[in-house]
Amino acid sequence: MQQFANPARFLKIANAVLPFVWTVTVILFVIGLYGALVSSPADYQQGETVRIMFVHVPAAWMAMFVYSVMALASAVAIIFRHPLADVAAKTAAPIGAVFCFLALATGSLWGKPMWGAWWVWDARLTSMFVLMLLYLGYIAIWQAIEEPGRAAMIARIVALVGFINIPVIKFSVDWWNSLHQPASVFKMGGPSIDASMLWPLLVMGLAYTFLFLALHLVCMRSELAQRKLRTILIARGRAN
Amino acid sequence: MDWSAAHAGFVTASYLLSTICIAGLVIYVFRRDAQAKKILTQIENSHRE
Repeated sequence: MQQFANPARFLKIANAVLPFVWTVTVILFVIGLYGALVSSPADYQQGETVRIMFVHVPAAWMAMFVYSVMALASAVAIIFRHPLADVAAKTAAPIGAVFCFLALATGSLWGKPMWGAWWVWDARLTSMFVLMLLYLGYIAIWQAIEEPGRAAMIARIVALVGFINIPVIKFSVDWWNSLHQPASVFKMGGPSIDASMLWPLLVMGLAYTFLFLALHLVCMRSELAQRKLRTILIARGRAN
Repeated sequence: MDWSAAHAGFVTASYLLSTICIAGLVIYVFRRDAQAKKILTQIENSHRE
């Protein structure tokens, strides 16, 4: 892993793989949306509203996945002092926040016709809301603290402490009585969802994953450029 | 997809909102990247001169 610690080498690899990642993202979205809106059937209970699942569930998966990436990167930054780890964690946060917002908003749009309420203080919804607050808090730390070293240390701790919320979100539907339906894809005994709905969901999940990967690489590239800029300006300031 | 079905508006709103947010994020990320690259190039060029 240390051989990728060199930002110049990372940029070279990122620039080489980005066109491929963007192409795969677009193809996956086209196939996934076809499956979600055209080929998959309406649900016998939920009717057409079930199609919200194809944008809601991948957004929720990604909100949790991106936070896990941030926590892992923060741990790597603390243990190995990997120079790109903080960059990875910092730049993942806004993308994860957008996914988290989308999970909450599309969940609300699903909840109104199904439960008769836009929002309920249910264990799953509340833990997702806490995740949104964690994202916003993490972003605020980087914005509010001017000294980058101090901001990085506090942000790492927040990312690691906040990671406790990820298993809480995952198992909230099993631990507490919840309006939210239990897991139907990643569960013991295999998925309980019909294959005609499962494949578009998995393709959309992959599309969101590749979208994150593409956006994250671009964000890391611009963060590295900004850090280089900052170093040049500081060096100039000292020279003058 | 039956667009005249009950609650189809909620489906439309979900896909529309997702599209707007993702497109907005992509535009924001690319603009920020282009801006950072532009300023860095200017600074490096002025440094060489």
